[in-house]
Amino acid sequence: MINDETLGRQLRETVPYIDDDGFTARVMASLPAARRESRWLRAVILLGLALIGSGVAYLIGAGHVVREGIIELANFPIWLLLVFAFGCGLVVGAFAVIFAIRKTPEVRDLTRLEF
Amino acid sequence: MELTDADLIARVLADDDQHAFGELVRRHQSSVRGLLRQLTRTDLALADDLAQEAFLRAYKNIRSFRGEARFSTWLYRIAYNCFREDARRRKELVGVDEEQWQAEQDPRSIDPGLRHDLMHALSLLPLNERTAVVLCCQNGLSHDEAARVLDIPLGTVKTNVLRGREKLKRTLAAWAPN
Repeated sequence: MINDETLGRQLRETVPYIDDDGFTARVMASLPAARRESRWLRAVILLGLALIGSGVAYLIGAGHVVREGIIELANFPIWLLLVFAFGCGLVVGAFAVIFAIRKTPEVRDLTRLEF
Repeated sequence: MELTDADLIARVLADDDQHAFGELVRRHQSSVRGLLRQLTRTDLALADDLAQEAFLRAYKNIRSFRGEARFSTWLYRIAYNCFREDARRRKELVGVDEEQWQAEQDPRSIDPGLRHDLMHALSLLPLNERTAVVLCCQNGLSHDEAARVLDIPLGTVKTNVLRGREKLKRTLAAWAPN
């Protein structure tokens, strides 16, 4: 009777490689159309909307708030502005790292972090 | 350097890169089609239709792939679900058809050659045992991975593999090791 080892080896060896033979092309032809808008287009749209929003806010009377804010900011001591800028950088950086980890399975596995 | 599956998946997720997905299809088409050919008992046309459906579903649902299992394991699960749904539609999962099909097979018609006999013996196994043996013994999945693919308890997978292997050994009894 055939033994376990021979059976196991034969089972592994009887896996035939199936030639693609146009299969991948058929799958690709059946996929729905890819999203066409690219990253830069999305960035331009977001930037445009932000500029339009700022312009509208300025025109409807929020302009003086901005002017006064800039004047007050100019009166701040320079070391406070530097601390503020550094803090903002840290917060943005932390968000970027968390986002990158969430989007990268290898890093997520490596750190064993659960999000 | 060749990109890993994870790199290709990341490209599909980030840019909807269909070329990257095409590379994933090229890499895994043989094993997915092979599995489905075993499940459909070498009905090549049906197996390829199901494989195509499986890859299409994989593309549409790739965001639900969390990287906790191997990409191939995830694909096998989708392929197996496609097969099961199709079989349910065709009412092939009921025991009567399985038994009837096996009754129609004459073991004496096995051609010479161990490999050929093994493939034939595999096709004689009941669906649950055949699937477990193909996944674990041919495609190298662990029992745990196979349990996830088939959505059945780990113990059931182990039992099915054991029973399947025993039946294969009995069917191939004439082939003693040299």
